[in-house]
Amino acid sequence: MSPANKIVRQLLQSILLLGCLVPVGYAADGLNVLLVLSDSNALYQNFANTYRQSLPVGVQLHSLQRAEDFNGQHADLVVTVGVKAAERVAMNTTQPMLAVMIPSHSYAGLLAQRPGNKLTSAIFLDQPWHRQVSFLRAVLPERRKIGVLYSTDTRLEIAALRSELSDHGFTLIGSALGSDDDLFTRLESVLTASDVLLAVPDSAIYSSNNIRNILLSSYRRSIPLVGFSQSYVRAGALCAIFSTPEQLAAQASRATVSFSQTRKLPDAQYPVFYEIAVNHEVARTLGLSIKPAESLRLQLEKLSENPR
Amino acid sequence: MLRYTPIVFSLLLIYQAAYAADLSSEMDYYQELPVVLSASRLAQPLSEAPNAMTVIDRKMIVASGFRSIPDLFKLVPGMYVGYYKGSQPFVSYHGSPDQYARRMQVMIDGRSIYMPPMSMVDWTTLPITLDDIERIEVIRGPAAASHGANSTQGVISIITREAGEMGGTQLSVTRGGKGVNDVSARFGKRGETLDYRMTLAYTADNGFDNLTAPPNDYPITKSQALDLLYNSHDSNQARLFNYRADYHPNAIDRFDVQFGFNRNAKNVGWTDSTGNPVHDLFATAGFLQLGWVRVFENDSELKVGYYHIRHDQHETFLTTLLPQFIAQSVKVDRDEIEVQHTLPFSASNRLVYGAAYRQDRTDSQYSSLAPIAPAYVSSLSTAEWRLFAHDEWRITPRLLLNSGGMLERDGFGNNRLSPRVALNFHATAQQTFRTGISAAYRTPSLMERNFPALQPGELFVVNATTRSPGFRPERLISREIGYLGEFHDWNTTLDLRLFSDLLSDGGFQNTATTYTNGMSAEYRGLEATLKHSFNENSELTVNVARESASSNAAALAAAGFRAFRSACPGNNDTVACSTPRNNASALYSRRFSGDMSFSAAWYYQDAMQPLDRGVIDYQPIQRRMDARIAKTFNQGGGTKVDVALVLQNLFDAKYTDYVANNVFNRRGYVTLTLDW
Repeated sequence: MSPANKIVRQLLQSILLLGCLVPVGYAADGLNVLLVLSDSNALYQNFANTYRQSLPVGVQLHSLQRAEDFNGQHADLVVTVGVKAAERVAMNTTQPMLAVMIPSHSYAGLLAQRPGNKLTSAIFLDQPWHRQVSFLRAVLPERRKIGVLYSTDTRLEIAALRSELSDHGFTLIGSALGSDDDLFTRLESVLTASDVLLAVPDSAIYSSNNIRNILLSSYRRSIPLVGFSQSYVRAGALCAIFSTPEQLAAQASRATVSFSQTRKLPDAQYPVFYEIAVNHEVARTLGLSIKPAESLRLQLEKLSENPR
Repeated sequence: MLRYTPIVFSLLLIYQAAYAADLSSEMDYYQELPVVLSASRLAQPLSEAPNAMTVIDRKMIVASGFRSIPDLFKLVPGMYVGYYKGSQPFVSYHGSPDQYARRMQVMIDGRSIYMPPMSMVDWTTLPITLDDIERIEVIRGPAAASHGANSTQGVISIITREAGEMGGTQLSVTRGGKGVNDVSARFGKRGETLDYRMTLAYTADNGFDNLTAPPNDYPITKSQALDLLYNSHDSNQARLFNYRADYHPNAIDRFDVQFGFNRNAKNVGWTDSTGNPVHDLFATAGFLQLGWVRVFENDSELKVGYYHIRHDQHETFLTTLLPQFIAQSVKVDRDEIEVQHTLPFSASNRLVYGAAYRQDRTDSQYSSLAPIAPAYVSSLSTAEWRLFAHDEWRITPRLLLNSGGMLERDGFGNNRLSPRVALNFHATAQQTFRTGISAAYRTPSLMERNFPALQPGELFVVNATTRSPGFRPERLISREIGYLGEFHDWNTTLDLRLFSDLLSDGGFQNTATTYTNGMSAEYRGLEATLKHSFNENSELTVNVARESASSNAAALAAAGFRAFRSACPGNNDTVACSTPRNNASALYSRRFSGDMSFSAAWYYQDAMQPLDRGVIDYQPIQRRMDARIAKTFNQGGGTKVDVALVLQNLFDAKYTDYVANNVFNRRGYVTLTLDW
């Protein structure tokens, strides 16, 4: 064990001891939360900083900088950030656990690790399909053929997306890419039939190596790409809807407060807070007039209130 | 939780076992991606452009059925495509010039192919095929601020397909009338950090058809008829290769490497010419182009480019004047380096600025012309530099101000500033009005300054000393009002331009070996482009231009300058007469089910008198209709076969191009393309 880890451990132990001294009646004040990050890089640090700042005074927060550092340390609530930390904690403890920043489709697997444990919940990283579809309706209402390229072993619920789209008069132009298929042949066939390309978090397709030719191919055909992160928009996607680590942290802090009062975790939930980003340069080049992000958000909220 | 329970439950059943193997994580969402569509890659939309612009995209290129690049410019309103011979095309704006067409800048991926010593474009020696082109942007009007020196009457900017555009192999064979015989092999591969593509091609044709009767019922003697009617020595053959690679080792840098080569042999000369008999002209043209683009955190972009072009031509021929063969050669080397920085000051203001340096070297020679003259060698080099800046300022969401300019010092020591200002007003989301004024200069060509003492054959062996030292750059000032309506609900766009282009200090040949300034001309007109999609499978583009020109040519002719002697019936202004009053084109294309496609094109140009040709070459009204029909057979597994039939001048309308014996009868060809 490295000296740093040792210090952290000793610190944690001393804090845990102190925690025992807090009277039971003041649960919120004495709540002992262990934050387990998947990794120590900036992404998780941003989460940790916001989370720490938005917790009420009195909640005792300890953090582990890497998933590997978790060895069953005790806490009233373990909050994990990222898939790696969630897996590690799910395997090694039965304590109440809130898994934040995990894709919704990996939650089922997480639950399977903790059968029957009611004190498990999550805040997903991805946007629900209905929000994604409302976003498409707000940004490009006229473009109704939505191309989606995914790999055959994806765990994304493509069928659910298809029905969500068709409920609103959109058509999903899907193509499943097998391991033997050529990505660009498939992509061309999807682009030929679509008027928007919706990127989905499928690393077999949307990797940083592939994104360049995916963007170039869609741009050549004047078909906008709708991404799912800020870096997609910077790379050349028309727009994206996504939640930042800070936004997920704020939501996690709300769940933590709620837990401190009720000792119950809210149901697993999709992000409440989200950002909308638009690449206006790309919009102009493609001859699309896209409203500013704030107007889109208002429209999206309206659409969510009146889903049909 | 209720809402997501079914999803969670089903996932639970399916993925319980596979959980450990799940690789998807938050990194799919938060990964850093390369900036792919950075400023220099994004094409400027028509509604934002500071000039009138025509874009010829891949679809139009295919639908046109053309197999030679210059012909594509028949699809640009107001453009004149001429042929000195079948093997010597030229392209100009505002009517016909002489066969060198010196007033337009032409670039391939930013590489200027407007070459000394003539300051012209040798279209037949380009190291690319039509299939290598992604799109062509034609700027109608001066654009020195953005496209550099000599962007005078307009700019043709050819953008080739990116290295990563093609993955696989394509073989294509074309066979048809008039010796049309093209073969090409293309190959491309995409990789994680390196994409590349290459083309190997052979193209050949036998040029124009023969005249079978005197042109325009012009009375000619029998010997003239023999020369004129049966002159069919205008074939052209090119063997070419090009390679383009895009290396992108990280998220912020990309490197573009291109090189290419064209070995061309063409028939030149005339049966009735004593100094320039029919013979072959050989050209070897090659280039190397390197580019580096880096995108910074603040989305500013640095672009550094270098290219080298080598263009060698040589010819050997026997005249009736001298007993011995005459051998001539002209070798040109061009090196240019350009640095450009795109700096977004804010969401509403962006500055592009930079500098460039270019060196041209022309080595030309002819063998002994004894007893008239000894062998002659000249070697001349010029260096020029330029600074440029262009600012794009969105004053309000509706108002866009484009302003900029270029400061240049040309190879002959002339310093010139070429400014441009344009204001685009988006009256509604669908309608834009534009008004602009711009100026640009054309650097004198080496041929004009150092006119050869003797000029046997086709090539110009320029004089080692300057004969026209006072010859100044020509100046063009263009004023325009534009309108662009993009009616998405009707799938229609309408692009209109009213312009007045004023040419001053125009150059002309005032003696047998010198050039001078003094010609001035004004070109005014209206250009319109209408595009309409009937449905997602059919499109129509219609271009119309109506133009008139007036100049001081009549006064210059009266002052005794032969260059302006009018051959035009009833009009002393040769410039006015060489500008067709009306010019139009239409391209319709339609895709049918069963992978069939059909396209038809129609071209019209009013009668005119080509600028420096005689009465015999008077060009009557041109009407031509082309059609293309194609079918794709998908063989599965990514393999497909395309068969296309192109018929040009479908109704066999009689017309000539620039020179009276350039007769283009109905012809057809079939292209078979195999992709896998």
